Amino acid sequence: MTNESFRRDLNRAFEAMSGPPSPALSARVRSALSEPAPARPGPSFWIAGLAAALIAAIVIGVFVVSNFNRHLTSNVPGALPSASPVQTPPDSNLPAFVCGSSAPIGSQNAPLSAYIDAVRTGTHSGYDRITIEFQNGLPSSVDLRLQGNSTFTNSPRGDNVTLAGSAGLLVVIKGADEHTAYIGATDFKTNYPVLLEARQMEDFEGTVQWGLGLSKSACYRMFTLASPQRLVIDVQAG
Amino acid sequence: MMTATMEERPSAMARATAGDADAFALLIEPLLDPAFRLAAVMLSDRTAAEDAVQEGSIKAWRKLRQLRGDAGSLRPWFLSIVANECRMARRRHWWSVVKMADVQLPAGADPTTEVESDLHRALRRLSPEERLPLVLHFYLDLPLDEVARTLGVSPAAAKSRIYRAARRLRSDLTPEEVF
Repeated sequence: MTNESFRRDLNRAFEAMSGPPSPALSARVRSALSEPAPARPGPSFWIAGLAAALIAAIVIGVFVVSNFNRHLTSNVPGALPSASPVQTPPDSNLPAFVCGSSAPIGSQNAPLSAYIDAVRTGTHSGYDRITIEFQNGLPSSVDLRLQGNSTFTNSPRGDNVTLAGSAGLLVVIKGADEHTAYIGATDFKTNYPVLLEARQMEDFEGTVQWGLGLSKSACYRMFTLASPQRLVIDVQAG
Repeated sequence: MMTATMEERPSAMARATAGDADAFALLIEPLLDPAFRLAAVMLSDRTAAEDAVQEGSIKAWRKLRQLRGDAGSLRPWFLSIVANECRMARRRHWWSVVKMADVQLPAGADPTTEVESDLHRALRRLSPEERLPLVLHFYLDLPLDEVARTLGVSPAAAKSRIYRAARRLRSDLTPEEVF
């Protein structure tokens, strides 16, 4: 297919989706424009708006600080009956590890598409971590699926990909994309104690999936942090 | 017609900024067609697209004083407002995403004889945000700097988005074939 035929076929497809507007659109817009007077807020409205915004910012700040710890706990997937909590250090604010299935978490104020702009891995005392950072807000849902092997389906191609390790954890993020703001690696070969490899398995139609290759079937925890907005998944070692 | 419209723009712009709705309607009249086409592709729904253009027109009228630059800035500015209106429409009707993903055939098209091309199917699989740069570049044939201003990004970033979305349709495309 040549460049010209690509353009022609693409424009034909666009034309099939759109076509011209109805002849009444112009009159409809004119009618709508004649109804409302354009808003021309004066200085007093502007100052009042600024004051309201400042007050709102202070209230939200107080709310966020006072609820920070509770926020962490509220996203714990351990609320599921099937999940079995595992002991965590008593001085930790982090949620408990769970073994088995967990409920998806999500944001009620999710943007149309949450843009992933960074993915990081790290190893810590007792757990390995993968952090997925979002540019414009948390996605609509995140689901973790533990599996007994490290073979994942590469979507949308459909072929199987086997990662390092003998177990796996699939991270399914809905309402996100990883191609607008993310330019980093899509395959991390970490060789940490439990998280051996992390690889992107899908970035298609608003769904992003990452497959995590684990050295063994392990317990995990998932929570979100703000400033910047990020999803944190810890896989328990030891 | 287009020449006459362009000549009318400076005075129409001044009158519109002063609060003349008819002058503003005259300004955006030639932009309704591309705005509708943009919205129809983003929303995959002609009725919702006309709603978005109408709402976008009202918002543009209310925000006209925020427009910076000459009359040439009007088109990308207006299209960016309509594109934003499409995003809001999809958020408002999140429950009908499945319905909106079904592309309607244009009036007069015979669904029994319409043979959908692979390209058309691939286009439907793109998200509205991915379709947007393609619509602006290929369908509306806007210059790169206007695509960039409509998207609110740099020309280099706009070029990257166009190319990336085009590659989702045909993976072997080279930049030379797209630009």
